[in-house]
Amino acid sequence: MTKLKKLAAAGTVVAGALAAMLAGGTQANEPGVIEFSEAEVSRILSHGPWPMPWSPDPSNRVSGNTHAVDLGERLFFDEKLSVKENVSCGTCHVAEYNWTDGVKRNQGQALVDRNTPTLMNMRHHRWFALDGAADSLWSQSMRPIVDPRELASNATHVAQYVRKDADLSCRYEKTFGVSPARQNDEAVLVGVGKVMAAFQETLVTEHTPFDQFREALARGDKAAASLYPRDARRGLQIFIGKGNCSTCHTGPMFSNGEFHDVGVSHFIDGDSKKVDGGRHDGIKKLMSSKFNLLGPYNDDATRGSAIKTTHLKPAHSNFGEFKTPSLRNAGYTGPYMHSGELLTLDQVVRHYSELNVDRLHADGESILKPLKLTQRESADLVAFLQTLNMDRSPPWRGKEYAHPPCVVNGKAAVVDNYAP
Amino acid sequence: MKIVTLAVLMLAPAHAWACTPTLEGKAGAPGKMLNSKTYNLVFRTLPEKIVIGKHFAVELAYCAKDNAPAAASVRVDAHMPEHRHGMNYKTVVTSIGGGHYRAEGLMFHMPGRWEYIFELRAADGAPERLTASMVLQ
Repeated sequence: MTKLKKLAAAGTVVAGALAAMLAGGTQANEPGVIEFSEAEVSRILSHGPWPMPWSPDPSNRVSGNTHAVDLGERLFFDEKLSVKENVSCGTCHVAEYNWTDGVKRNQGQALVDRNTPTLMNMRHHRWFALDGAADSLWSQSMRPIVDPRELASNATHVAQYVRKDADLSCRYEKTFGVSPARQNDEAVLVGVGKVMAAFQETLVTEHTPFDQFREALARGDKAAASLYPRDARRGLQIFIGKGNCSTCHTGPMFSNGEFHDVGVSHFIDGDSKKVDGGRHDGIKKLMSSKFNLLGPYNDDATRGSAIKTTHLKPAHSNFGEFKTPSLRNAGYTGPYMHSGELLTLDQVVRHYSELNVDRLHADGESILKPLKLTQRESADLVAFLQTLNMDRSPPWRGKEYAHPPCVVNGKAAVVDNYAP
Repeated sequence: MKIVTLAVLMLAPAHAWACTPTLEGKAGAPGKMLNSKTYNLVFRTLPEKIVIGKHFAVELAYCAKDNAPAAASVRVDAHMPEHRHGMNYKTVVTSIGGGHYRAEGLMFHMPGRWEYIFELRAADGAPERLTASMVLQ
């Protein structure tokens, strides 16, 4: 059994277990009963509607382009982008695992330092990667390609591969209106990042039981709202109330898209000499990258898309901060936290319930304190989180295409004047 | 005669020497007035309704009371006092003419009480802070 199939099989088991947990652990409310105050309803409504409106990324001229989506999907699963031709983006971002991998930390050419984040709903993010080292989805898509621990590739390898493969070269020209043979290596690498971003922008989670409940509240449909399970309802009350979770897990995404220290160890493998600086290091990488939105590859002539980067303010307290994850489909994205050290949502809730404040920055923000939840409250909170899941994990996606051969300008794919 | 004049001056309301900054002529809400020992200030946000996680701008105008000199610099910031943190973004304040200023780059990333901080610094004096609170839902 391949690694991928093992992961897929394990995913089915996890999804089944979650479904059983939901079915067995929840009960519908009595019709007509709504226990939330006006302020609570207002807060609940702020977590929708879903899906959120979206418009193409102005920094990426092929965002939303169907040719780009097609080419991006092909390259996403193409192991030949890696120098050893053994790893693709799809190695760690597996559809059935909500576009992550189900393991604590994965391995490309070497073991990486962090848990693989999901790609779901990525089009709504402000910063990319757990440390926000990229300010666009296309620049983030380039980073694993050249990271020595992941695809370990480089611009020359990627550009030569795309130019030499007649079909890919044709699709590239169809997307950008220019042959990769007429662009330098770096420009082709950026082009690859942009089509991969276009593909990832199509990955959006579906409606959830929570969304149904929220919409029932919004239209004042008490009977429909009463179908939301009691334990999830109690958990939601904790989430927006004593748990203070919605302070950072805001809005329809259940994430404010910013960075926080939540008391998870900064040491990699528990080694005090190997420290993950989180957002602090992410900002350094971002600002030194020629591929950020202040650089020449931003297609947005107005530079309005770069406002976040222009005004970014580094702070000492950024050390050890990591991006607030979206909670949509969180039931399918374990293990959790930046290091993947917590295996289940129960463990995550326990982490916040028994929070060790000594592990927080002394000069950092004062938001978190141990929630000291009872066993039932913890279970309710988990029950609520499970209602943020789609009914099923995303279906399999991989390297199988039924598309006809690429034709550009009425001609079948040919390699255009490429001389290595 | 001098005594009479002095008496009139003493009876006059304190704001007789005050100034009133205005954002008239500019689009948007009328603005919120603030004052400190030396300055009166009016500001508004653009857009008027602030959304969590969305960048916005602040437009402001001020005047110095009692013919005091204009401030040498204007700074705009914001923080959440109860949370003990500020914004993750720094503002850039530019003069847009007619005594008006525009601060770009603000972004509130959490619900709760935020406090605007307007710092006006005289050329030869300590800074003066004017603050205004708002609760973001």
